[in-house]
Amino acid sequence: MKIALARVGAVLIVLVAWQLLSLRGLPEFVLSPVEIAKHFVAALGTPELYRDAAASLARALPGFALGTVLGIALGLAAGIARSFDEMLSPLVFLTYPVPKIVMLPVFMLWFGIGDLSKVLIIALACFYPAFINAYYGARATRRILVWSARNMGASEAEIFRRVVLPGALPQIFAGLRVALALSFIVMFAAEMINARSGLGHLIREAENSLRFDLMYVSLLTIAILGYAGDRLIRFLRGYFLPWEESHA
Amino acid sequence: MRRLRPFILIILILAAWETAARSGLWSPLLFPSLERIGKELWLFVSRSDGWWQTWVSLYRTFGGFALAAIAGVALGMLMGRSALVAELLDPLFSGTYAVPKLALFPIFIFLFGLGSLSKVALIFLECLYPMTIITYHGAKSVNPVLIWSAQNMGASRLRTLARVVFPAMLPYVFAALRVALPVALIVAIITEMISSVDGLGYLVSYSLSSLKTDRMLAIVVVISALGLALDHALVALRNRLVYWERLDTFYV
Repeated sequence: MKIALARVGAVLIVLVAWQLLSLRGLPEFVLSPVEIAKHFVAALGTPELYRDAAASLARALPGFALGTVLGIALGLAAGIARSFDEMLSPLVFLTYPVPKIVMLPVFMLWFGIGDLSKVLIIALACFYPAFINAYYGARATRRILVWSARNMGASEAEIFRRVVLPGALPQIFAGLRVALALSFIVMFAAEMINARSGLGHLIREAENSLRFDLMYVSLLTIAILGYAGDRLIRFLRGYFLPWEESHA
Repeated sequence: MRRLRPFILIILILAAWETAARSGLWSPLLFPSLERIGKELWLFVSRSDGWWQTWVSLYRTFGGFALAAIAGVALGMLMGRSALVAELLDPLFSGTYAVPKLALFPIFIFLFGLGSLSKVALIFLECLYPMTIITYHGAKSVNPVLIWSAQNMGASRLRTLARVVFPAMLPYVFAALRVALPVALIVAIITEMISSVDGLGYLVSYSLSSLKTDRMLAIVVVISALGLALDHALVALRNRLVYWERLDTFYV
């Protein structure tokens, strides 16, 4: 109870301090929390916000799904098969610290300036955390578990499904969480650089026309979506991994 | 044969690229040959302008990164060693963790101007999260026996932090630095692509809009090499400082 109070308290203190500061007069591009809430509620009544949010999600989610599914599949494969590991891992680890967003202009040339290039760049960015976490998750399988499963007559497929996969799941979920946050960042960046719809486009347009209210509406929407996605992954993690203690 | 395996895929990709470039199926605007990219790369490194733009990007990256490293380690250490600070700050950090901080960039432009400051501020904010959260876990997981013995021998609180907690969490600090450094470079490039008149990110979008695909790809190669070199430098530094715990893998 006390902890919960402290948590709510910290957030409240920030908000109240912000509101009090705005009473003293802030620059016009910093709105007070109450004003932001007002504009946000007003924007909720218009179809534009939903259209932009839907356009953004239609880029981030397919990209996230494509990148993580490929990343987890290849990461697990590289984690259990040595020949695969030796071929694939050097390339992945070599290109891991490279900022993937620089490929956006290249992708725009190849796949057009529409949604395809954005979905693919998000998939590329999400591939890396998914691959690396699945890879280390599978590699960290304890030998003794595999041996005992084999001893009890489990086939290779059964060992994978019943031993390697459950052991790697916590790591896979950690990778999914990083990938989701990344997919939102890359989606937003791609839309700010070049798009005709979506929340990133909305914030750029608001910036250009000095509509500060719209800037904060877009910001708040992306914050809520990011937070909700993160919560969903943590919920799924608790559902699939009830034995794992979750830490923030 | 076995030792060649790591290179098979890389060579295959390069060969496929060159075949695609030379087949004539696509315009050289879409697939410039490796030779032309190499020429542009040479042009880039042989002129002082390229080095200047690289310096601008690096300066922004390191500015935000260094500030975030200092603030993040301090915050993480405080959160790890004081339950009160952790309870106050943890909801702020974990609540806004998944929110793309990049969305704040337009507001930062109004706050800090179009120059380097708004970019450094965004890099700082984006790097602060991994730095604080990972350091926090490191400070929390320090073996209590070490702290007890330091206290037993009469070490003050500050001395315990500096001589016991800090070295014990150093592996975590480096893990955090390793997550944050590519983030810093990414944010520097993105912000330069969105709004800037200098830096490597600006050069990428400038070459694209002047349809110099080969030049753009050469700069992409430069940025990739930069990301790789920074990561390797950090691992080398880590292995020197945290010599009691070697890091052989490429990723923490």
